[in-house]
Amino acid sequence: MSDYFEYVESLFRNGEKREQPLKGIKVVEVTHYIFGPNVGRVLAQFGAEVVKIEPVGEGDRMRMGAVWGRFYKKANLQFLALNANKYFISADVRHKKAREIVFKLAEKADVFVENLRAGLADAMGIGYSAISRVNPKIVYVSCSGYGQWGGRLVMEGSFDIAAQAVTSIGTKTGWEEVDEFYKLPDYFGDFLPSQLAVFAVLAALYHREKTGKGQYIDISQAEGLFRFLYDVTYLSLTSQEIGKTGNIDPTASPSGIFKTKDEKFVAIAIMDDDQFSALASVVEGLKGKEKDRLKKERIKELNKILSEWVSTKTLEEVINLSKELGFPASPVLGDYDIYKDPWRYERGSILKFKDRLYGEVVIPGPVVNLSDSPGEIKWLARPVGYHNRLVLKKWLGLTDEEIDELEEEGVIGYWDNVPGCMPPATWDKEKDRVFWGDKDER
Amino acid sequence: MKDRAELFSEENKDFAFRGVTVVEVTGTNFAGMIAGALLAELGANVIRVDFDESPKEVTHFGVKVDGYGIPYFVESRNKEIVKFENVEQLRKLMLSADIVIDAMKPGYLDSLGIGYRQISSENPKVIYVAVSPYGHFTEKAREFSNVPDSDLTAQAYNGYPSLIGNPYLTGELSYPLRAGFWVAWTMAGVNAAVGALLALIEREKSGKGQFLDIATHDAIAVTHIFPALVGFLFNKSRTKYGTLDYISYPFGIYPTKDGYIALATPHDPDFRGLLKILGRWDLEPDWRFSIDRISDDIERIKEIETILNNELKKYTTKELIEKAKKATRGGFFGRIKAVRRFMGRPIIVKLITLKEVLEEKHWWIRKSFLKVRVDSREVVIPNVAFKMSETPPRVLKLVKGVVRGDEVGDSGGAGREVSEE
Repeated sequence: MSDYFEYVESLFRNGEKREQPLKGIKVVEVTHYIFGPNVGRVLAQFGAEVVKIEPVGEGDRMRMGAVWGRFYKKANLQFLALNANKYFISADVRHKKAREIVFKLAEKADVFVENLRAGLADAMGIGYSAISRVNPKIVYVSCSGYGQWGGRLVMEGSFDIAAQAVTSIGTKTGWEEVDEFYKLPDYFGDFLPSQLAVFAVLAALYHREKTGKGQYIDISQAEGLFRFLYDVTYLSLTSQEIGKTGNIDPTASPSGIFKTKDEKFVAIAIMDDDQFSALASVVEGLKGKEKDRLKKERIKELNKILSEWVSTKTLEEVINLSKELGFPASPVLGDYDIYKDPWRYERGSILKFKDRLYGEVVIPGPVVNLSDSPGEIKWLARPVGYHNRLVLKKWLGLTDEEIDELEEEGVIGYWDNVPGCMPPATWDKEKDRVFWGDKDER
Repeated sequence: MKDRAELFSEENKDFAFRGVTVVEVTGTNFAGMIAGALLAELGANVIRVDFDESPKEVTHFGVKVDGYGIPYFVESRNKEIVKFENVEQLRKLMLSADIVIDAMKPGYLDSLGIGYRQISSENPKVIYVAVSPYGHFTEKAREFSNVPDSDLTAQAYNGYPSLIGNPYLTGELSYPLRAGFWVAWTMAGVNAAVGALLALIEREKSGKGQFLDIATHDAIAVTHIFPALVGFLFNKSRTKYGTLDYISYPFGIYPTKDGYIALATPHDPDFRGLLKILGRWDLEPDWRFSIDRISDDIERIKEIETILNNELKKYTTKELIEKAKKATRGGFFGRIKAVRRFMGRPIIVKLITLKEVLEEKHWWIRKSFLKVRVDSREVVIPNVAFKMSETPPRVLKLVKGVVRGDEVGDSGGAGREVSEE
């Protein structure tokens, strides 16, 4: 029997590569920032045809949000990756004809995603009730801060950081002894709920496959975070809040981030007694101390012992011992380490990708690895309104003349000449057949 | 509004995964257990197999619900839990499963003769979801196959703690800082559930199963996009950022006279609105554009950060929220589009405690939490993460306890099923 790891690798390298799971699924999204767009991102990675509708000119405001203001070939690379594989059309929804276009696209869609303020989609005439009336098989997902119904919070606008405050998640990160609270960075309050939204949409598609029925999904940032807020249970049992615990994971002991002899950092978190024994076999001071190891004061005491031990070892020594003995330990990486990590390229979670408009870039690959129907990055996001012609011809059967007319009336439009929204300088409008809608991206 | 509540009512609704069988073997890896719980909420028949008691021991500061650790108690929802007796018992379960969640050490079940290659040869429709620190393939996965998983170590390898904390602190307070939430295990768990569904949907067409590989040590980085991208664009890592941010400043949690607020100004007009509220229009010329306020040189930003911190502390949280509400997009002149584009308002929200969260009626109307009676005790748990109109996810049972009616002030009423081991 061959080696297990080689066997699994062969599944990924030589798998059947069947059709992508969502091939044939049409998605329309009216989304901005991260929560909504990430839903379309994942669906598109696995074969769905996703049309993103943006306002004319500046489009999705996330286009302007480049890390440290650094644009790449006049685009925001973060936006290019978050909105890869999508088709971009741009319409002015104050125009009745534009709303009709959105509506007609939704009529043909399998999935509709929006993350406008609760109630706004309804007001625009593209809410669930309006669309499901003409397309009862639609899977419609509304992503919001606090949900589409309930009490006073429904009308409140939201943002990742606001959701972190309203859910009390914001009180959980920081040092016990410092009067400060830190956010969960990189918009975790958008990404986790968004992945849950993807899960819900897939569940609804599966159900629709079996029964033919569409449905409405209401997902909020807050409830996506609450779902794993075990603190509520702790509070109900003890009348205490867990609050900030510095580098201690309250479910693991010892646990923390420690400095090694060679001035590097290592995370160690002991989840069970076997792991504790493994660690204690080399950390003399821990021997015989597993009793009540999860009590708060006890964790601190054990951490002190562990911290002293770590300070006498290099990072490599600690990691080697964790491999040999079997306890959780890991170096603490930074962005650059991740970017340079060959393991991630082997897995396909980071890719060198060559795009028709933007050339070679490095971006994350599909969010999950499937052996036989893998996800794929096909093209990066495009400028505002770039696929107007392609989508209006392909989806709605409009002619070039009809599209010209819509353009003249200001119903549809294109990018403003600002970074994040516009094409790269090397782009040749006349020669780009995709832009003119005569050829698909693939 | 009432229509919505009715639309999402759980009465007489179907389950999305009725008839789908899942076998969950995850030990103390809660990413795997979370994936199973999400499938179980939607009606999959999830059979969890425990090799020993250790998963039940994982809990916050040792606090248990009648012998069960809190994460285990919460994530046991709707599952049938059995003890591992022998390989043949587990093999039989896996042979009849649609989905297997394996979060044991990579290769362990294979070494018992019940890994994917053995199970799929007899059950080719099986969807095998592997969850582990470094995955089940690559040299690195082999090298680290004996290292068990934890949320904290996974956070570290995702580059997350490097971003957290106040960049101006020194000593131990300058260390990378843990996110006070299971960010890696939750993201990996949700991603595993997403992958399982993609494979399930694909199986409807091909009739075949496949292998899925989730690495908890990569789940955040691949989903969040930023780490690889920052490496590529800047050839360096971000430092810890506290209330600073790399896309939009301010974006964080700030102290006020009497508490804390979350503060964000997504666009330049919103930042101007903030300056108006604080009466510091003098700062406008220097810090007008987003690009002025985000920089990889944190020393440069310190100036505005210090001023902002001092100004916000002059007001109570309530005052700031009131001021932000009143700053209606340019005031009277806000009806003029050009003014609206120039003057916005900041997002200011009070940072509240968990006790305050539980006093908020909104969540009880939406049933975001459930009350469970365990013997004579009332225990609160998180309810499901989203609402579905046709196939609502539901918590029907837990490893122990009665799921109660969950209206505000409900004193009991008809409980759902009881499950005792």
